Amino acid sequence: MPRGALLDGSVDLLERAGVDAAVLRDPGRRLALEAPDGTAFITTRPSDVATYVEAGAADVGIAGRDVLLEYGADVYELLDLRFGGCRMSYCTKAGPDPTPEAVERLGVVRVATKYPRAAHGYFAGVGRQVEVVKVNGSVELAALVGLATGIVDLVATGTTLRENGLVERDVIFESTARLIANRASYTLRAEEIDAMVASMRAVVDEGVGE
Amino acid sequence: MNPADAPARLPTGARDVLPTEAAELRDAEDALRRVLRLNGYREVRTPTLEYGEAIERAAARGVDEAYRLFDADGRVLVLRPDLTIPAARMIATRMADHPGPIRVFYTGSAFRLPQPGRPRLSEHRQAGAELVGATGPEADAELLELLCACLRAAGLERFRVAVGSAAVMNAALDAYMDGDDARRRLRAAAAARDHVAWAASARGLDPALGALPTRRGGRGVLEDVAREIPAAADACAALSRTLERLDGTPAADSVGVDLGIAHDRSYYDGVVLEAYAPGVGAPIARGGRYDALAGRFGAPRPAIGFGIELDPMHRALAAAVGPRPVARGAVVAGPGAHDAAQALRATGLPAVACADAGRAAALADVEGWRFLAVPHGDAYDVRDRATGRRFASIRLQEDLPSLP
Repeated sequence: MPRGALLDGSVDLLERAGVDAAVLRDPGRRLALEAPDGTAFITTRPSDVATYVEAGAADVGIAGRDVLLEYGADVYELLDLRFGGCRMSYCTKAGPDPTPEAVERLGVVRVATKYPRAAHGYFAGVGRQVEVVKVNGSVELAALVGLATGIVDLVATGTTLRENGLVERDVIFESTARLIANRASYTLRAEEIDAMVASMRAVVDEGVGE
Repeated sequence: MNPADAPARLPTGARDVLPTEAAELRDAEDALRRVLRLNGYREVRTPTLEYGEAIERAAARGVDEAYRLFDADGRVLVLRPDLTIPAARMIATRMADHPGPIRVFYTGSAFRLPQPGRPRLSEHRQAGAELVGATGPEADAELLELLCACLRAAGLERFRVAVGSAAVMNAALDAYMDGDDARRRLRAAAAARDHVAWAASARGLDPALGALPTRRGGRGVLEDVAREIPAAADACAALSRTLERLDGTPAADSVGVDLGIAHDRSYYDGVVLEAYAPGVGAPIARGGRYDALAGRFGAPRPAIGFGIELDPMHRALAAAVGPRPVARGAVVAGPGAHDAAQALRATGLPAVACADAGRAAALADVEGWRFLAVPHGDAYDVRDRATGRRFASIRLQEDLPSLP
């Protein structure tokens, strides 16, 4: 289970699908928890969920598509859970787009990001040479102080961008939370996983109908 | 840093195999070899180096992931990235006169460049079997049964073999999708196990196509899919007949249908299979039918095969068995160690002489030997190190009991 922004939505969805996940409502500082029915939950940073599932430390997990694409985890991607919506975008300072100027005068666009794979993939796709600077937080700052021409980052509401005088120039991909499964677990615990997918699919489809 | 300055460093993806693991791998491999021979499969070897062109005939992008080098004439050679392609090449070119069916097996390593950013091994030890010149449910069932027998012989009990069909998937894609691009997109989604992307690409079409990769279970699934996607009915019936033949065999409980299985190797065109065991996230075996492959090297001949991935299989064994088992053998301590060790070897028990009695116990500990033999009066006591029980007392002139 991803700690942070996706946790509440994940717990809501699990409970509506009939999984007793109440123990996750107030995990405190505990990282591994057990529900009364014996289900073992582990909570990790969102970017680590796919890693734990890929290694088989968990049979199934909930991870954002952004994380799955960035880390290229070898897992089953079973269901679009349709919450935790956000988009990976290329953003620069508001006003005239500084990107063409950078290409023209410097030959490359320098981009700061927490998602180097997404950044490389995007610029390779649009045919621009790019110098990716990996930063670990508050990426907006890099564009503001001129460390980079622009940033590649996840945008949910756009509030942080606006407050820092940045605008989105291009959407690279849209992301939502996904139900993922370990490759061996998917086959070895087929019936349990199929039942879980079916009940979660019913909840997700119902939510869209509303 | 210059790699020579750090002697413990290895090229990315390479690793050493230390004695405990090497012994376990060898034992498992020997068990596989016995089963394969017993079933009339004959061992072959193909070279580690192949022409890049030979690999490209079979797998369009096969050379991209291979280690490449050049021969004296400047031709591109590769460390074989796959064992099935060389086997198919060998059978088509060197065994063309064999009336068939041809049954061969091999053990060896395939080499693939590790993916950037991920710790992946470059050397993949495999044991593979190929049945060439036989087609139909009987041949497919033979291979499935053989795979299950191999995995059981290696010591695995709780494995599952998921069986799909490239023929079912191809028939469904041809029926609903226009254009190679769309079909390629769906195949890529299936190979990446991305059910969400598959469903998105199939949106607006028959829901049966959107759900295809999620369809799995018993043979009943095949009847359902045959009804929902008439174009795939023949392929479903073929797979169903294969599975029917497993009824009543030990393989029946281990094999299930999974129509989502699709390999990124492009040469499979019939049954496709993947085997999994608890404790290992990667498949311990994979394979399938590749009827079109032989035709790229010589006369076309139908073929089906599997490859067992020995390292993942060994991880599954280690997970199932628990801590390392003790090694059958003894460390013999003291001044008469040489002769006592010889006497033990004569009974078939591996024995190591260690004249320095002070080091013998530590040696037995580090190397995990089961017995320690120490002088006792004018004889040697052979004791089980775990229980302290005395198994035998050796007088060097006497005949010895056979030890466990």
